[in-house]
Amino acid sequence: MQTHVQIDSVLKRARGYWFVDGFTEIAAGVFFILLAGILLLQGNMFQASNPSHFLSVVGVISLVKLFGFLVTVLVLWWLKDNFTYPRTGFVRGNRLTAAQVLTLLRNAILFLLLPIFGLLTVSVLLATVGGVLSFMPVWFPIGVGTIWAVLCILAGEWTGVVRFRVLGILFLLAGLAVGIWQWTVGLSVFPADVRPALNQPAVQEVINRGLSGLGVLVLISGLPLVISGLVTFLQYRKANPTPYVEEA
Amino acid sequence: MSASIQNLSGLDRVIHEPARLMLVTLLSAVESADFLYLLKESDLTKGNLSVHLSKLEEAGYIEAEKTFRGKMPHTEYRLTSKGKSAFDQYRKNLSSVLGVKSK
Repeated sequence: MQTHVQIDSVLKRARGYWFVDGFTEIAAGVFFILLAGILLLQGNMFQASNPSHFLSVVGVISLVKLFGFLVTVLVLWWLKDNFTYPRTGFVRGNRLTAAQVLTLLRNAILFLLLPIFGLLTVSVLLATVGGVLSFMPVWFPIGVGTIWAVLCILAGEWTGVVRFRVLGILFLLAGLAVGIWQWTVGLSVFPADVRPALNQPAVQEVINRGLSGLGVLVLISGLPLVISGLVTFLQYRKANPTPYVEEA
Repeated sequence: MSASIQNLSGLDRVIHEPARLMLVTLLSAVESADFLYLLKESDLTKGNLSVHLSKLEEAGYIEAEKTFRGKMPHTEYRLTSKGKSAFDQYRKNLSSVLGVKSK
């Protein structure tokens, strides 16, 4: 069995090479902190006077996420090209087949549609959108934290990177903490009878609290990512202080 | 002698050597990797690594692609489809043998 275990650990080490320098976590953490800033700003300043205003906020956040992601990927490539590859070598990740891409797309669509269907079902049952909105600030951070935790722990299992499992547990705890915090400030855990009109103070409050709660979750999830990335980077730099030079 | 034990003699000797097993395992998890990565991960000397890579190349299990990154020569190695099937078969045979051993 020993040989088998060694094969598995070598496989995991190769899969986890992308994360060897800590850059991915630092970049993701910085991205999270910037996103948290926007969410907290929107949560504190946003006045939901009409639905189009609310949609514009969602649009801005989506655009920031998209461009932030693209910039993060470009910065990561540059860093790896100039720092990591000259020290410990270049690895090209496995290419996805068309079937794998389709499966991923299908899962992503299901992943996005399932909560919407769930929300719609609850809305129909409760006959008021406001009723659903009322308990979102409590449950949304818990749901998001749980999803991140599951993804992180699975990535840790796949790559053998132990710190990902720790980060996963932190994300779960962060989601729970924000949910409990929202609950303790008086937001409802169960659907309340709030009318759907967006210009009602109660609904505005719920949306603002929801954005703020999400902002706090993203912030307290981003900080451990940056710290974990920095520690990993320092260890990597200590082990590989200079680029590899061919011996004469 | 059980069929599982007989599998032991059928283990692919090109892959069974520990250094080459590590190289094939590393390459099986990625699309391709360069010489420096394999050198760092395997902890072999440059000469030893070159010899093992040549043996794997001769067996048709890996292929090398020589390019340039900037002005520096750059060699990437990838597992061929023959190498992938040989590695899969090796793992199956080994599991079968170990299954008998662990009983």
